Amino acid sequence: MTAPTDVLPRSETTEQQELDTPYVLLVWNDPVNLMSYVSYVFRSHFGYSETKADQLMLEVHQQGRSVVSTGALEQVEADVAAMHGYGLWATFQRADQG
Amino acid sequence: MARAFKSTPRGFTARLDSTERELLRGLFEDVATLLAPEDDGAAPGEEPDPLWAMVGMDPRTHAAEFAAPTDPAELRLLPDAVQGDQDASLEYRRLTETTLRERKIGALKAAALAMESSALAFDAAAANQFAQALNDVRLVLAERLDLRTEDDAERISSVIDAATVDDVDEYLALVYNFVTWLQETLMQALLGSL
Repeated sequence: MTAPTDVLPRSETTEQQELDTPYVLLVWNDPVNLMSYVSYVFRSHFGYSETKADQLMLEVHQQGRSVVSTGALEQVEADVAAMHGYGLWATFQRADQG
Repeated sequence: MARAFKSTPRGFTARLDSTERELLRGLFEDVATLLAPEDDGAAPGEEPDPLWAMVGMDPRTHAAEFAAPTDPAELRLLPDAVQGDQDASLEYRRLTETTLRERKIGALKAAALAMESSALAFDAAAANQFAQALNDVRLVLAERLDLRTEDDAERISSVIDAATVDDVDEYLALVYNFVTWLQETLMQALLGSL
């Protein structure tokens, strides 16, 4: 006995779309982490330029949060763990969520 | 009196006197203790379950009663990873929290050990780890000081004279400001070397 093959491709496509949905890593402002430290973490962990790291750091500081990276779920989850290692307040969510 | 971190051919160096080293060592050890799991799931004198150890998982995080920390300082060190979704946060916590605790405790213990010597000299990797340990100490002190807003930060940063300190909060604020100063000098040295 085999499963009817005509329904399989459709469900695989749905799963693939789920896997392809990008996730975002948000860093939230707090009054403890030093601006210099946050910039340093963005530069050393993500390899961002000084300009980009400083811009993201200021966004966190002034707007309360910033999208610091975007990618596949697994990558973003690993980056969140790294940010928590540094003591930054980071969360992740699907890119299409508010 | 402490001398600030600077970038030198010998690495990232600073000097601390014996009182400062004693103070910092105590703080690193306290935060490491705060992060240490209460028990390893095994009865006293019993080895942890080898099957769990073999698959690299922690039975505590898979127990039915596993939950986010209740101590706000511990929660600040191990925050929820998904905003507004307790179930997703808890699931992430099950998979990552043990490793995160171990990593933080490792950095804090290395930092405590570095307090054996008055002359600190770190390579870039060790300096990065020392910065993490200083930051975790600051997060815990800030929580104990109820530091929530930029205004609180401003108020606390004005406590700089040891001679005028006359209660526990002012003493904690003074300690917080010292650790902040030391971390800031390390960050300037590290940023200058990137």
